[in-house]
Amino acid sequence: MGTLFQSLIHSALSGIWFIKPPQDVSLDGYRIDKVIHYTDTVVAIYMAVVVLSLVYFIVRYRARPGHKAVYERGDKKIYIVATVVLGFTVFFSIDAVIEAMAFKDLKEAFWNFPKGANVVRVEVMPQQFAWNIRYAGPDGYFATDDDIIAPQNQMHIPVDTPVVVQMAPMDVIHTFYIPHFRIKQDATPGMITSFWFQAKESGKFEIACAELCGNGHYRMRGFLTVDSPEDFRAWLEELRQEQEETDDWSDWGEEEDDSGVPQDWGWPWNKKI
Amino acid sequence: MSDGTAHKQSFITKYIFSTDHKMIGIQFLWFGTFWLLWGGLQAMLIRWQLAYSGQPVPIIGKLLFGASDGIITPDIYNQIFTMHGTIMIFWAVTPLLSGAFANFVIPLQIGARDMAFPVLNMFSFWTFFLSGVILLASHFLPAGPAAAGWTSYPPLSTPVGGIAGHGQALWALSLTLMGIAVIMGAINYVTTVIRMRAPGMGYFQMPLTVWGIWLAAILNAVFVPIIAAGLIFLLLENVFGTQFFIAGSKATVEGGDPLLYQHVFWIFGHPEVYILILPIWGIVSDLLSVFSRKPAFGYRVTATCMCIITCLSAIVWGHHMYTTGMSPLLGKAFMFLTLLISIPSSVFFLNWLGTLWKGSLQLRAPMLFALSVVFVFGIGGLTGLYLATVTSDIYLHDSMFVVGHFHYTLAASVLMGSYAALYFWFPKMFGKMLNPLLGKIHFWGTFIPLNIVFYNMMVTGYAGQHRRLYDPYIYEFLQNLKPLNTQISWWAWLLGAAQVVLVVNLIWSLMKGKKAERNPWNAATIEWTVDYPIPHGNFAQMPTVYTGPHEYSNPAIQGRDWISQTEKLTAAS
Repeated sequence: MGTLFQSLIHSALSGIWFIKPPQDVSLDGYRIDKVIHYTDTVVAIYMAVVVLSLVYFIVRYRARPGHKAVYERGDKKIYIVATVVLGFTVFFSIDAVIEAMAFKDLKEAFWNFPKGANVVRVEVMPQQFAWNIRYAGPDGYFATDDDIIAPQNQMHIPVDTPVVVQMAPMDVIHTFYIPHFRIKQDATPGMITSFWFQAKESGKFEIACAELCGNGHYRMRGFLTVDSPEDFRAWLEELRQEQEETDDWSDWGEEEDDSGVPQDWGWPWNKKI
Repeated sequence: MSDGTAHKQSFITKYIFSTDHKMIGIQFLWFGTFWLLWGGLQAMLIRWQLAYSGQPVPIIGKLLFGASDGIITPDIYNQIFTMHGTIMIFWAVTPLLSGAFANFVIPLQIGARDMAFPVLNMFSFWTFFLSGVILLASHFLPAGPAAAGWTSYPPLSTPVGGIAGHGQALWALSLTLMGIAVIMGAINYVTTVIRMRAPGMGYFQMPLTVWGIWLAAILNAVFVPIIAAGLIFLLLENVFGTQFFIAGSKATVEGGDPLLYQHVFWIFGHPEVYILILPIWGIVSDLLSVFSRKPAFGYRVTATCMCIITCLSAIVWGHHMYTTGMSPLLGKAFMFLTLLISIPSSVFFLNWLGTLWKGSLQLRAPMLFALSVVFVFGIGGLTGLYLATVTSDIYLHDSMFVVGHFHYTLAASVLMGSYAALYFWFPKMFGKMLNPLLGKIHFWGTFIPLNIVFYNMMVTGYAGQHRRLYDPYIYEFLQNLKPLNTQISWWAWLLGAAQVVLVVNLIWSLMKGKKAERNPWNAATIEWTVDYPIPHGNFAQMPTVYTGPHEYSNPAIQGRDWISQTEKLTAAS
């Protein structure tokens, strides 16, 4: 019982102090962390003001013999002006600031898709309950014979290189989520959605599905491997050769492979989004 | 009924098919309480799975999940959290606020004999009841109830989503019926408030409770029909194989759009948040005034702020959809509109604090709950900022942070507010006082665990845990959260156990409680001028209103510190 009590007390405090989000390894994830930290700070200040005034009022103005309430309707002009001014103060100290930060970040990073020769393009088709990943192949075009299909749930990207992803799911709505990159994007049937990111560090990270997609939602887990550009190219080349060798045999099971995924699922890269 | 004199009623017309707003309110009260306990039990099961993933549920496990030896399977887990969300929002909180308190309080506080449409009122309850029966029945389907989350996004919630059985169809059917019941109630409340106020009661003499419930009813009347339309489409998808919301490779015909449902859902879904919270804001504003023995600070400003928020709530639904890939222009517009809400919210929040300032605070059970709403709603409102911001929402969307946040606004604020209302009006409803000591035990037993549970939910979300995971710990980045999740679960069970105190208090007080005086709180509003039991028709003589709803500690009054709205200030002095 004693230990249970201790651990309950510990838990009451531990969450607040010791748990941090996964380490950010992306180029622009810091922007999100910065907005969150700014909001944390100002929210903590306002909440402290609320709690302190609540406690003060409860102690100072508690009902007791000899203490009487003051008849104050709070409808004098001065009070109305004061509360409205304070309301705007809250707005300009938090809302306006995070809005400016967010708009700037969206313009500079999240909605500013990279263009250029070095951009790595990836097509992702989530299905219940796996991630299908596809690269354009030597001709640079998607939905052609030389597309390179990664092993299911295995996404590789080169470090320090912008990566643009387009997604269209096979069945229901899924959400591509990599906590280490602060990335989250829905994939909705009938439309192509896209996002971009860039890795700062090599390593292997987990991909999760964040939108409920059925009873296997919790185990829809993929892996993102961030390689050096050389390793990434070598990995792609190895896959390409493997697929070339097995290509002659592909007639055998042309329509579907074991996973129930049509082999020809890619789509021409959508340049408009 | 209009003559206000007592008349003969049989058991059936008095207790079952009653057209008396007070009896219908009490029916809604027990109905909502039943579902609150049912949905609460489901919350306890969710917490079991998150703490002791894959282990058989003790004691009740074999009884509930016999087929799997008491273990919660992924299918069952999805069904439980889907039903928990659906039930808590639509069958627990909605009947309690827009059913029980709205019905009981509106006519008594505005000095009316009954609702404008008493028969419609009765139909509203029984349609609601029928919807509840269907929802309850869906729990006993061979393949179990709906499992696509309380939002039930298609295509998952359609036949192509792969959820077995007919749970989704019954979910859509029961929710549509519930919607119809809510619309009937809403039309009634809106009309009653506009047409049936006692002589002398202008809009700015109405208690803030009535303001809150009235604005919520307007939102209900406007936005529930939209979701009802969407739900009927969803029902057609499940029963007749239509494809309004199906697209992509699973669609056999062209033209469907899953995003359409999300828009329809959230056009209703965001006002729904305010449908639940507006009555609480009103109730809390009034109770703070009663138990501070002071007029509600800036009454007109508070009422105006509530109106502004009501309007704004209709045009911010897009902030639930930032990650759908919406156009940048829309994203920015929705963010700006959402953040605007903090101005009127801050103003009326300050007015709450202003009411306490220089008051004489009586810390009785309803006041404790009302004060706790100021605290939990502060946290709930402020944490909304993270989610209103497009960029931080990219990281926090669909995470436990969202779950913690909306539990603060909906579960914590609404639950504590409802308890405040229950402790406050119980004497007028049943003629007995609730036991104050048990009330205080119930308060602390609820307030402390509730904050630890919901706060740490936000922490796990900030640490990366996404929603609706049967077993979060298959992810390496979530394995460090297992101890914290286990602790949250223990606190959640403590929170659940504390509700037993309320149940005991209700039963004990109904049987052996102290008989309530006419006006045990010395409150100024009209419902406290009539004696229990209030007859059908409420008032022997129609009340006339002379003063505002919060005349406390007015120096013009002598001998006591309040006058009723039906008394003239000069006559009392």
